[in-house]
Amino acid sequence: MSPRTDGRLRSRALLWIPAVAVPAAIAAAVIVPMQASAAVDLPDKTVAELLEFASTSDVEAFSGTIEQTSELGIPDLAGLTGAMGGAGSGSADAGARGDDAAQPADLDDLISLATGSHTANVYVDGSLARLQVLDQLAERNVYVDGEAAEGWFVDSETKTATHVVLPEGTDPEQLGAEAEAHADVSAEEARARIEAETGAPLPTPEELLDRALASLDETTEVTVGTDARVAGREVYELVLEPRTDDTLVGSLRFAVDGENGMPLAASISARGADEPAFRVAFSEVSFEAPDTSVFEFAPSADFTVTEREIPIPTEQELAEWRAGLEAKAGGAHSGEQGVPSPIVHGDGWATVVELPLPSVDAEMLDSLTRAVDGARVLETSLLTVLITDDGRVLAGAVPVERLVEVAAAGAADTGR
Amino acid sequence: MSSREADATTGAARDADLADAGGTTDTVRRPRAAASGTLRLLGNELATLFTRWRTWAMLGALALIPILIGIAIRIAGGSSAGRGPAFLDQITGNGLFVGIAAMTVAIPLFLPLTIGVTAGDAIAGEASHGTLRYLLIAPAGRIRLLVVKYLAAAAFCLAGTLTVVVLGTLVGWLLFPIGPVTLLSGDEIPVGEGLLRFLAVAAYVAVSLLGLSAIGLFLSTLTTVPIGAMAATSILAVVSQIVGAIPQLEALHPWLFTDRWLDFADLLRSPPVWDSFAANALLQGAYVLVFGTLAITRFVTRDVLS
Repeated sequence: MSPRTDGRLRSRALLWIPAVAVPAAIAAAVIVPMQASAAVDLPDKTVAELLEFASTSDVEAFSGTIEQTSELGIPDLAGLTGAMGGAGSGSADAGARGDDAAQPADLDDLISLATGSHTANVYVDGSLARLQVLDQLAERNVYVDGEAAEGWFVDSETKTATHVVLPEGTDPEQLGAEAEAHADVSAEEARARIEAETGAPLPTPEELLDRALASLDETTEVTVGTDARVAGREVYELVLEPRTDDTLVGSLRFAVDGENGMPLAASISARGADEPAFRVAFSEVSFEAPDTSVFEFAPSADFTVTEREIPIPTEQELAEWRAGLEAKAGGAHSGEQGVPSPIVHGDGWATVVELPLPSVDAEMLDSLTRAVDGARVLETSLLTVLITDDGRVLAGAVPVERLVEVAAAGAADTGR
Repeated sequence: MSSREADATTGAARDADLADAGGTTDTVRRPRAAASGTLRLLGNELATLFTRWRTWAMLGALALIPILIGIAIRIAGGSSAGRGPAFLDQITGNGLFVGIAAMTVAIPLFLPLTIGVTAGDAIAGEASHGTLRYLLIAPAGRIRLLVVKYLAAAAFCLAGTLTVVVLGTLVGWLLFPIGPVTLLSGDEIPVGEGLLRFLAVAAYVAVSLLGLSAIGLFLSTLTTVPIGAMAATSILAVVSQIVGAIPQLEALHPWLFTDRWLDFADLLRSPPVWDSFAANALLQGAYVLVFGTLAITRFVTRDVLS
């Protein structure tokens, strides 16, 4: 390839060909497989068939990588939680702070988990499960061992490992049996109630499903979308679209594996948006039992280990709790209890929930919200929150105008 | 800058070699020996690279990072969890982490700078010394010369990352207690396995720098002023990282050669996530392919006047 003196111009032109051809070839190599994967054709299923197929899925063991992306249009919350009195995990007194400070840190974690984009590995084998959230230069892990009734929550950034156990002497199998017994009792009750209401014997599960679908159909259009491919698997797509225009939600989509019925992806799109506002999907999945070593965890000496027992409610406590709930449901609108109960306006997708304003940092509020007539509003692509100047909070998956309307009607009702 | 003086001396020495035709190390560069193959050319290029003062000065600067970190923490005490660069807080408990902490510090700027100097100098340096045409008189071929220059730059990538990790581990060994290595997942592995993982990290980072080396080599073929190619390469590395930090440009991120630079931590998980090693190698491979092709195209069609 030494330079020549004759035909130099032509060879020079020829030599530039690879410079163009190589990027073109790479682009083709990337784009062509994407096109090819579009053609998926699974045997057709109706909505009811698809739901039953998914609910009878019997996948016991799998492992894979989950990608979560969210474009909720929320202002950057990372800075916000840092401003809330050093609740951030990086604070200097992280080692010194007591257990009571754990709550804000948990909230911090939850917010960051729900809002950002994340990659996580998930491993499941029978009663063993592990979720491994892969952060840059850090990692969070949740280990669950169903048989031994214990679990670990591990955070590499704070160097903490929380060992969650059931109280000593609890037999997980007995608990399971009890829970099942409860479920049976509830099922019996429900059956009796249905029989009393309809005056007919209990319908078959298929009929129940049809009925549930029919009631859902009043507010939501449920369809089976086009077959697609998720994590290299052929999937059915279940699409839920609100029938009303009064909501910000455009559609909910679920991908169900065409072979074994396991859900592989879920996403929520805002009305009129091309990209989902929130999406969780497998990018890789294998239905072989993962190596048992991935479930083994022994905390390193460098980690602070906290033991935490989860109290198991006794039957009496459960009954009390249930009674409390029912009492609350009965007197929801009276608002005479110590705890303020939410007022619900409207139904279906356009539901608006109203609460009295809890104490909030005013400065933080101002930085997050914008002013509208007589109130401040926080808008995201899926959820709107309105904080009125007279101390009420209204929230719903609805446009601002509807919240303002409801707020005005509410104010008129109470004669203000 | 002393390294530039060192350059000048090396260049002068090589000119003298070529002139008196009786040199000891640069014999391959004359027509008689040129046919003896790419391997000898590569061996010679590596010998030239690693006998340069500048190369050792850069490796020394890289070595200073773990040494400074080790001494600073030894004197001032460790940091608490979550503060400072990742892994820094682990050093007091386990000295082996000095190397990894130093790597985290070196990746964004120091390593790209040294790679920028090595790769940016590859062709432009020869051109500015007036030695390029002598190299090309030999029927070694321009493409072979480029390949050899690139392989030498790649060898420097590995030398640089190994310097940081190996020296860091040794410094930590001397200054701090050592013990089983705590992984990001929260469990421990024995020291031996931990050291193997650290070597894998060095390999990962070396692979990460291959794309930048190819960019540097291409820029080096565009000019006869080596400092221009060096600066442009280093600046590109910084610009790419800035673009990678802007969320609004998220669509571009997977295409940046710096996108997976910090994913070396995937090798410190349990089980180690090798996917990112493969994805990173693919990304860097694409950059090597594109900029390698551009460099060859440019260099083969270029009029070499110096």
